[in-house]
Amino acid sequence: MKKLALAVSLALAAGVAHAQTINIAGFGAKTGPVRSFGVNSHAALLAAADVINKAGGVKLADGSKAKMAVEFYDDRCDAAEGISVIRRIAGTNALVAVGPTCSNVAEPLFGILQKKVGDAGDSGLQFPVFTDVAIKVGLAKISEWAFRNVPNEMTMYNSLFYWLHTQHPEMKTVYAGVEEDFAHSRATWYIVMKPRAEASGFNVLGNTKWLLADTNFATQVREMKKANADIVAISAHPFSTCGVLKEMQRQGVKPKLLVGLTSSSSLETLQGCAKQAEGIIIPTSFAPINKEAVAAAQTTAKFKGAADLHSMAAWENMFILKNVMESEGISGKPGDLQADRRKVRDGLAKLKTTKGLMGVTKRDAEREADKPYLFVHAKKGEWKVLYNPL
Amino acid sequence: MLDFFQTLSDGVLFGATYALIGIGFTLVFGVMHKINMAYAAASVGGAYAGLLVLKVMAGAPPWLVFLGAFVAGGLLGWMVYVACFHFIPLSSPLATLMSTVGMLLLIDEVIVHVTDGMPQGYPAMFDDVMLRAGEFSMRGDLLLIFGVSVLAMIGLLLLLYRTSLGLATRAVSQQPVAAQLCGIRLVRVNALTFVVTGLLGGLAGALIGASVGTLSPLLTVPLTVKGLIVTVIGGLGSIPGAIVAGLLVGGFENVLQLYRGVTERDLYVMLLLFVFLVFRPGGIFAARSGRD
Repeated sequence: MKKLALAVSLALAAGVAHAQTINIAGFGAKTGPVRSFGVNSHAALLAAADVINKAGGVKLADGSKAKMAVEFYDDRCDAAEGISVIRRIAGTNALVAVGPTCSNVAEPLFGILQKKVGDAGDSGLQFPVFTDVAIKVGLAKISEWAFRNVPNEMTMYNSLFYWLHTQHPEMKTVYAGVEEDFAHSRATWYIVMKPRAEASGFNVLGNTKWLLADTNFATQVREMKKANADIVAISAHPFSTCGVLKEMQRQGVKPKLLVGLTSSSSLETLQGCAKQAEGIIIPTSFAPINKEAVAAAQTTAKFKGAADLHSMAAWENMFILKNVMESEGISGKPGDLQADRRKVRDGLAKLKTTKGLMGVTKRDAEREADKPYLFVHAKKGEWKVLYNPL
Repeated sequence: MLDFFQTLSDGVLFGATYALIGIGFTLVFGVMHKINMAYAAASVGGAYAGLLVLKVMAGAPPWLVFLGAFVAGGLLGWMVYVACFHFIPLSSPLATLMSTVGMLLLIDEVIVHVTDGMPQGYPAMFDDVMLRAGEFSMRGDLLLIFGVSVLAMIGLLLLLYRTSLGLATRAVSQQPVAAQLCGIRLVRVNALTFVVTGLLGGLAGALIGASVGTLSPLLTVPLTVKGLIVTVIGGLGSIPGAIVAGLLVGGFENVLQLYRGVTERDLYVMLLLFVFLVFRPGGIFAARSGRD
């Protein structure tokens, strides 16, 4: 009996000592002015891994279970750094990378991945990247190793301007303020908001421009005042959005409605200028409106992160990856690393839908997501749901 | 035409923020013949530290926050001196330059880490005051900054020319060895110079945060660049030069932005600097000299 107990203990100990780990690399801006995005993504990845591991972990091809381990790398929202980071990650035993934060990193980074899977003449990196934050339209089509779980801004702003047009038929004109030197904000106005506003029947009177780190918006707001549009669309991130809104307050510019950029539906905007941002409407793919979303937000908060449309995409990515790994039957053995990476890539490519915190997300042939969304507005220092088309 | 004058006025008034930063750069250079690249970052750091007043006393008046920033700026100034100048041989200009660049990055990252990169709303004085004359208007808070710049200039000039510290500072800047032989303690004078510029820097950071309405780590590098441009254009070591250059740069960039757009604005500011470097390298307040 004693020998049996000893044998069982040794077997258990051996099992524990050899517990497998699936390594997931996260990467994004952990330093620099957009550090909050990286902090929140990292927290969401750790929180999701914690939940998955507590439920037993990831089931491998041989039936055993492996824990998910997350290591986060800092790309400083810099393209060269991002490329260096992904090459470094590819040299580790990470199966897949979740990131980056910035669209100006994602675009060149996807460019160094192998364009077409199986193309022997293409020496690009063969490593799956599953983006949570970088949101500039149409990037995943650059490489078949790139996948994104970011909201489709074209769909959201199309819906938003159409809804605004039906809700407020008396409003005819739109004028925009655009943060010119950030890939996301610039592309979102020119490629998304402007054409969608025009398609919904609004007359776009023009736009004014500033840079991300600008502090003086007097000239731009005067142009806004002259335009006297019914709706002012601000395609900018929180710092300059707050700067412009404060200048608008000083100059007495009060449009009937304000529309903001998706990335500004965050705590940063409310911390910087809650009073001036009162009423600004922004489409988003996350709000804590159901039990799952609330639980995800609370768990992420335990890891010192805030839940928003970007960080919750990272949370969703972990669960999607878990399901893909299990359905594709990854082995988790060091010798099968590249084969497992290929399985993850192929598994992600096969997906037609995924389960998100707001509901079912559709996936298209260009490896982009079509996520459920709703419209929020800033009300008394909080983001409240204005309209839920779900 | 009204647009032009309004834009020029806005720019000149906003240039007062550059003037405040330029004064700090130029004063350190005037005394030690060294550039303190960490000055603007320390100013912003002082402004952030001023927000601690609101943590201790919720609803504190803005002037108390500015006072906190003033004191914190002085402390940071002393720390920059100790870390970047005291233990580094002053005979090596590159060493102190690189150490202050390192300090700029360090302060920037500390701010980002402590605040998670989140912009912080900053209390302001007279931000709701707009002086109007028909369509023309001027911001009350920017007039305050302009007034503070002028007072700072007067105060510093009085300090330099009416006090024993000022006398010692001028002696050290002219002949450090001779000054030491006369019993002037070099380390004390240099440290006090950093404390004085730090005090001004903290106040400058607070006023800039108040004028923008939000404090963010995004401010440190652009303020450093503008401060250096203003220092060079005004004349290295010239306090009145820093004021005039600050206003000039502010007005110039705003007018160019009106006519050429924001994407070309900074090009023209750099071109302005280039013109000064070629044709008047000593700055506005410098004696004319030949190209050789």
